[in-house]
Amino acid sequence: MVGVTGVAEQLLNGLTIGMVYVLIAAGLSVIFGVMDVINFAHGELFALGAYFAFAIVAPLGGAGFWVALVVAPLLVGVLGAVIERVTLRPLYDRNPLYHILLTFGLVLMLNDVITFFWGKQPKAFSEPSILSGPVTVLGVSNSLYSYFIIAFGAVLSFGTWWALNNTRFGLVVRAGSQDREMVRNLGINIDRYYTLVFGAGAALAAVAGIVLGAYQNVNPGMGNSVIIPAFVIVVLGGLGSFRGAVVGGLGVGIIQTLARTYVPVLEGLIVFALMIGVLLVKPEGLFGTSTGEGHGESEGELLAGRGGGVLTDRQRFGLGAVVVALLAVVPLGVEVLYSEYVLTLLTDVLIWALFALSLDFVMGYAGLVSLGHALFYGTGAYASVLVLLHFTSSAFVALAAAVVVCAAIAWVIGYLSIRVSGVYFSMITLAFAQLFYRAVFKLEWTGGSDGLFGADVLYGIGGFAMELDEIAEMVPMVSEEGLFYYFLLATVVGSYLVARQIMKAPFGSVLQSIRESERRTEFVGYDVTAYKRRAFVVSGAMAGLAGGLFAVESGFVAPSLLFWLNSGEVVVMTVLGGMGTLYGPMVGAGVYIGFEEVLASYTDQWQFFLGALFVLFVIALPRGLVSLPDKLVEAGAGGGRAGTSGGPGEAPSEEAEPLADGEVNE
Amino acid sequence: MSESSRLDAEACQNPLLDVSNIVAGYGATEVLHGVSLCVEAGEVVSLVGRNGAGKTTTLRSIVGNVVPTSGSVAFDGQDVTGLSPEETVRRNVAFVPEERRIFPDLTVAENLKVGQLGGGDTAESRDPEEVLEEFENLRDHPDRRGGALSGGEQQMLAIGRALVAGADLLLLDEPTEGLAPFVVRQVEDLVKNLNEEGIAVLLVEQNVEVALELADRHYVLDRGEIVYHGTSDQLRENEDVVDRHLGVSI
Repeated sequence: MVGVTGVAEQLLNGLTIGMVYVLIAAGLSVIFGVMDVINFAHGELFALGAYFAFAIVAPLGGAGFWVALVVAPLLVGVLGAVIERVTLRPLYDRNPLYHILLTFGLVLMLNDVITFFWGKQPKAFSEPSILSGPVTVLGVSNSLYSYFIIAFGAVLSFGTWWALNNTRFGLVVRAGSQDREMVRNLGINIDRYYTLVFGAGAALAAVAGIVLGAYQNVNPGMGNSVIIPAFVIVVLGGLGSFRGAVVGGLGVGIIQTLARTYVPVLEGLIVFALMIGVLLVKPEGLFGTSTGEGHGESEGELLAGRGGGVLTDRQRFGLGAVVVALLAVVPLGVEVLYSEYVLTLLTDVLIWALFALSLDFVMGYAGLVSLGHALFYGTGAYASVLVLLHFTSSAFVALAAAVVVCAAIAWVIGYLSIRVSGVYFSMITLAFAQLFYRAVFKLEWTGGSDGLFGADVLYGIGGFAMELDEIAEMVPMVSEEGLFYYFLLATVVGSYLVARQIMKAPFGSVLQSIRESERRTEFVGYDVTAYKRRAFVVSGAMAGLAGGLFAVESGFVAPSLLFWLNSGEVVVMTVLGGMGTLYGPMVGAGVYIGFEEVLASYTDQWQFFLGALFVLFVIALPRGLVSLPDKLVEAGAGGGRAGTSGGPGEAPSEEAEPLADGEVNE
Repeated sequence: MSESSRLDAEACQNPLLDVSNIVAGYGATEVLHGVSLCVEAGEVVSLVGRNGAGKTTTLRSIVGNVVPTSGSVAFDGQDVTGLSPEETVRRNVAFVPEERRIFPDLTVAENLKVGQLGGGDTAESRDPEEVLEEFENLRDHPDRRGGALSGGEQQMLAIGRALVAGADLLLLDEPTEGLAPFVVRQVEDLVKNLNEEGIAVLLVEQNVEVALELADRHYVLDRGEIVYHGTSDQLRENEDVVDRHLGVSI
């Protein structure tokens, strides 16, 4: 009997959390369905709702909860509408990737706003006294507030469902989620609806934040921690499907809660495993309409960087050589011209540059937008440290292990996930990365949340290995850090040259033609999937090398290496520099870390400005920094080459096929 | 050619739709290199040409899905060049794109309702139920999902959906593509009926038979240019044009 009531209690808890998920996922899903926007900032809007509520309840006391429940969602809804108007509107014709980037910038900004006003410490506000205290229904005891969340969430969800199915507004929204361009062709200005949809979605997320805030607490990380499960739910249920969001939200809430109690080993893992399983069997999700059926609205091109134009190949090669030469003399100035810190910073830049290069290999060349590349980075680091701790102290062996392990994992993940494409590929890679992230917490031999540290690193193999400081003593003018820096620089430059060689080879040409048009490449007779998979393996191996280098340099690993924010940051760097150019993403890594550094030295609110810069950047310079010379020349020439850099019109038709990139989404 | 240009000059005295020398394309690729055509009120005109000739792009440029880089489009004497599709459509232009593009998860009635919502404030919008009455295949099943309809039914619904808002001109892109011959005849009958009600039609077709059956005048488009223009009789006699630009025999 105890078992039965126990299960019932857990089911109730699961339903409570599940209802919160439903409110978040419903907005997220409808926003994606209608606007094609993958809104990473949804989690921050959710958190903002909770903080607004905190700010309202704090002075008003218990009854303030009801005021907050009305006022805070309205405020967040208005903010959402403003965000849509100001930042998203210019991007509608572009590939959904740019929305990811833009909303990622918004995440940084909003999160910083929250910590600016409310600090990093968790806050608490309580539910109204009328709802506090336990009630016992059929022998199951639970807090009344829990029942309130379930009932309130159910009413709101039903209301949303009703509005979608019984109002003009809902009809246009549903039609728009199936074929936006056709809605326009029927004379409806759907852009007007976007603002409302985005605002309404934001308001629903805010409600979720408020009810959860009073149930648990309010903290700056709440947005980050909820957004990934929310995506899982949306993908699981089917992108754009309201029903899917409801079923997925409740299901995930219940499964998570039950797993926590009865199979704690699987907590956190099971949901991602479930999502991967569903996507492999039914790529469009449980209730999604098949993506192929929708009449080809163009996905919008992925805007690769344009290196050509102003600078000739020779000039660019020369520039690259100069940069490498400059980097090579940096260690000589340490303690003379600047502190050791410069070297630490550049070490960081070089590792991230390699990481960004690896992502570009699949994203910029094969059109595979991986949102889970931190998986390889982190796994490479873990593999290296494990080898160093348990087998040999040789850095070379450790790095080789990182490369091999990551290549193998990339092969398996590539094998499983490359069969789905577009947004689904992004989501499945994200899920795999989170699966690994959760797993390292659970496993004994990965050191759990502490990570692993204390590895000795020797350079060389077998009897000819030495510690870096021993070698440094034999080399004049260069410190231990300097030596590692040279080793790193050589590895990164070498990797770049290898990548360049691969791209010049026929293999690279096939990859690029896949990016341009997957279907055509297939018609010519290439096995597109096999090529993508190979590229993914190379990319995974390279990311693993970057992670291994980090581990060898720092001597420790922690689960945070696998966190999704790292995947987001590396995508940002890649696009910032200009994807599809190999050197662009490396430049992007340098600029990103440089910005971070400079901003951080001026203000505590550097995240906000970094995010803001990034938002401006995605809107104004989608082809990346490498296209800057071209842009400047264009501007100087009075915009003589108008139209070449803007997003292409949405346009699949018989004649448009050479340019329409819609095939990528088959 | 001289015959063709003479025809051009007197093709429309009082054009409802006047497309003048439009140049349009996608990105750097120019598809139309100066296309001119016109449609009088109440007239059926065809635009025929091979796959890839630029027929669809012409329609898309008229509606506003594609913005012409030069040239102009005027409807009922008003310049509509570069207007968004929703603005153009609200001037009583109905557009049925290729592949019909029915909303697959909306019911028949809902599909029509969306069309009605798109009507301009001044449009003499029609009652969806009344429109439904005209389609015997659809009227008994207003709750069927659009995606579950046959190709012919979808085509009828697409035309109905475009017309609920009220229209003076119907732009039809390959309405018979992929339909069985007896369904093609149903579509032909529908277009004839609509024309008798006074709606002018610009019909894009690859099927020259259908074009000759329905339209009074024909423009032949090849590689982004109008290469011939004539009445049905003239086109029938001009085997050379048909053979060279359309690659079919009639």
